[in-house]
Parts: sequence; C-alpha cells; structure tokens
Amino acid sequence: MLSWSSNENGTPADLAAITTGESDGGQPHGVELLAFAAAIVGSDDDALAAARDRLTAVAGEAFMIDAAAVAANFEMMTRVADGTGAKLPPPLETMVERP
Amino acid sequence: MVVRADLETAHRRSLEHVARPGARFVGARRLQIARVAIDSYLAADPGPPWARPYGDTLLDGAHRLARHAGTLTEQWYQELGVHPLDWVEVVGVVVASLPPVAFARAIGNPLPNLPEPIAGEPTGHQAAELAPATLNWVPVAAPADRTASVVQALSALPGEWDNLWQLAEAQYMSDVAMADPLWNRGTLTRAQMELVAGRLSKLRDCLF
Repeated sequence: MLSWSSNENGTPADLAAITTGESDGGQPHGVELLAFAAAIVGSDDDALAAARDRLTAVAGEAFMIDAAAVAANFEMMTRVADGTGAKLPPPLETMVERP
Repeated sequence: MVVRADLETAHRRSLEHVARPGARFVGARRLQIARVAIDSYLAADPGPPWARPYGDTLLDGAHRLARHAGTLTEQWYQELGVHPLDWVEVVGVVVASLPPVAFARAIGNPLPNLPEPIAGEPTGHQAAELAPATLNWVPVAAPADRTASVVQALSALPGEWDNLWQLAEAQYMSDVAMADPLWNRGTLTRAQMELVAGRLSKLRDCLF
C-alpha cells in the first residue's frame, strides 16, 4: 500500500523506514509521523505529548488528528488480523495454471 | 481541539455497540471484556504474554489480544478451548473498545467512559451460513476465502463486522476509497497514512 500510493503520488517511499523508524520514509513530515506512531504504541505519555506537539507544529492540528485516527485504525486492524489468524493468500503464481 | 464529526460519531457508536447485547454475550459481559481490553492497553507494565491475570478464559484472552496480539498463535487459540463464535465476539468487542481510547490518548483528550450496559439477552445473530476458512483460524460467513482474510475475519457475526467497518471508514477510509492511491481527506496523503499504518503495525509485531 505504501509503495503503491507513494509511487502514484510522485513521492516514492523509503520502505526501510517502516522497520527502522529512521529517516522520513520519503514523505513530507515523515520523521514526525513515524515518531508519533511509535509514541502511540509506547506507554510514555510525556513522550507521546512531545511527539504530538512536534507533529502539530510542522503540519497543523487537523493533520495530527487525522494521523491519530489512522493509528487508532491500525490498533484495531492489527488485533483483527492477529486475533483471527489472518493470513495472506497464497502467492498469485501458485493460483494460475502454468502452460 | 476540533475532531471531525464523523469520527466522533463512529467512536460513540462503537462504544454504544459494546454496551448492547451481542450475538453471544449480554451487554454487561461485553463491557467486562472491553474494560479488561482498555486496562491492558493502557497498562504501564502489562506483564508477560503468558500471564492469565483474570482467571477467566475469555477475559485473559481479551487481555492478551489487547496488549500482546503479536504473540498469538493458532496453537494458543486452539488451546483456549472456547466456542469459536465466543472468540469472534471477544475480538469484536476488543477492537470496538480500543480505537476510541487509542485515539483520545493520541490527541491528548480525556479518555472516553464506557456506557452503562443495555439490558437484553444475546441476539444469536450470526451469518446465515458459516464456513471454515483457510485464511483465518475462525469460521467466517460462507463462502470462505473469497475476500481478504481481514475482511472476512469477523463476518461470522454481522454486528461485529458492521461496527469494524464503520470505524474503518471514519478512521482510515472507505473500501471504495481504498482503491484510489491518491485519495485523502485534505490532510495526510495516502502515502503518509500508509507510513503511519506500516510503522504502527511493525511495532505491534503484526506480520500481516
């Protein structure tokens, strides 16, 4: 999804940022977004407040609120996936008949 | 702080949904599950994944799902030994109760209170036909495996499925918008949304 949308948007993503949390992921305000996501997962409310303030300062309150909504959505979807044993479908090549 | 009205409505509806009788449980039991999930989510020290702090199979399962979801395995699920639809409802309640709390904490607002339970017996409302799935541990609405595993995950219980997707539409995007890589609300680009989603999922050890 990130690779697809960022290429279509003309801002190709640095996918390694998902794993490392370093760099901006090739996206505007990426550093602040990655830090905000990490702080939401963490238990340190002061660190979360600082990350929230930094994101709001560079991108505005409405932007921060929508980023929080996306994070809330994936606090939900990760538990749907893990709680029901959701698997990716088999690779496409195994579903097509080879000549 | 101005929160979008559709988002406020989706979160309010979700907590009201938790308080209503579900397919398998009365409202008071659903709220008990939600309380455990929220407390576990917010705990500074939640303890190890294998702990069973509540001495109640479903509450201990809700605790582990809320705080240690990335450690769940099919063997763990099988060893729970609960009715599959009971577990689907636990998952539905956990994912209905956490997003309003996670969102409020993230933006620095007061955490929402759970409503009072709504009286009534369990509805028994489930999909007309259930089928075992190869893409999920849990049974799903028949026919199985025709849609993505996260889409069919809660389909056995339409009430939980409906709530999940009304939340997703307000927090993330509609299923129609999902097909458009340039869709956005005028704030984050789609790529910025996926950056947040990807990083959070990685930190939660969700490999899906």
